[in-house]
Amino acid sequence: MDEGTRFLILALASENYALPITRLMEITQPREIRKDPNLTELFEGKFEFRGKLIPVLNAKKVLKISGKPGTTLLVVKSMKGLLGLLVDAVIEILETEQKPVPMPKGVMNPSLRHYSGILRYKKNLVLLLNEEGLLP
Amino acid sequence: MISSYLVFRLSGRLFGVKLLGAIEILPWRGSRPVPLSYSYVEGLIDYRGNIYPVFNLTKRLGMSSPGPIGFTAGQQAQADAVQSIILLEENKTLFGVIVDTVVKMIKLEEPGPDEVSGTTQGVDAKYVKGIANEDDQEILILDFERLLHAG
Repeated sequence: MDEGTRFLILALASENYALPITRLMEITQPREIRKDPNLTELFEGKFEFRGKLIPVLNAKKVLKISGKPGTTLLVVKSMKGLLGLLVDAVIEILETEQKPVPMPKGVMNPSLRHYSGILRYKKNLVLLLNEEGLLP
Repeated sequence: MISSYLVFRLSGRLFGVKLLGAIEILPWRGSRPVPLSYSYVEGLIDYRGNIYPVFNLTKRLGMSSPGPIGFTAGQQAQADAVQSIILLEENKTLFGVIVDTVVKMIKLEEPGPDEVSGTTQGVDAKYVKGIANEDDQEILILDFERLLHAG
């Protein structure tokens, strides 16, 4: 039986986004994020997770969405290692048989890899974040 | 060769686009914004199982100024009240453009690729295929194939 795929639906400002659940390690609150001058301004600093320091990306800054950094911290697996991602809120886990629709041509510079597709969620479209493409 | 064109109004001026396939005209109700998209991309809409990118033609055509000379504040306010979205297909690519009003359909001799250069009264001429005259009004015929190419 096809079980479909599960996605975490999350909020950044007034819009929802999705992340493949297989990439998600933990949902937590950002405490003690240590500033690190070696990181670019897209990062809020570093955070200790299971004894290791991992970089924390401000998802809003990465997508050039205005507003304060989010108050929910996602720990995400990327090919370059663990990554913290600050988002505004987690909404729910969506289980769906949808295949993400590719981003239509002409929308954005093809060299930008921030999204891996589009999903339909509650009569709206959500952008599927590509954890690899978010990293600078 | 005679072709059908859809004429619409945007920022107080008339434009035409050649009709190749089916089109849909819907009231504009907003779209899903895409952060980091090109500045002229308004967002995405989901219509009958297809996802369409929606282009802001005013920005795409480089019409930074509010329409032709003599354009008044009242007309500008009217122009700002965006009303319709036209959904089209060009070379198997689906997309939508926001317009103020859809005016009519006309049949025209296809304009030649001549005499349009530089800017056409504030519209980037590279997207203008030709100029038609209908009832003493100028209609800029747009080249949507070019419009779809980023840059």
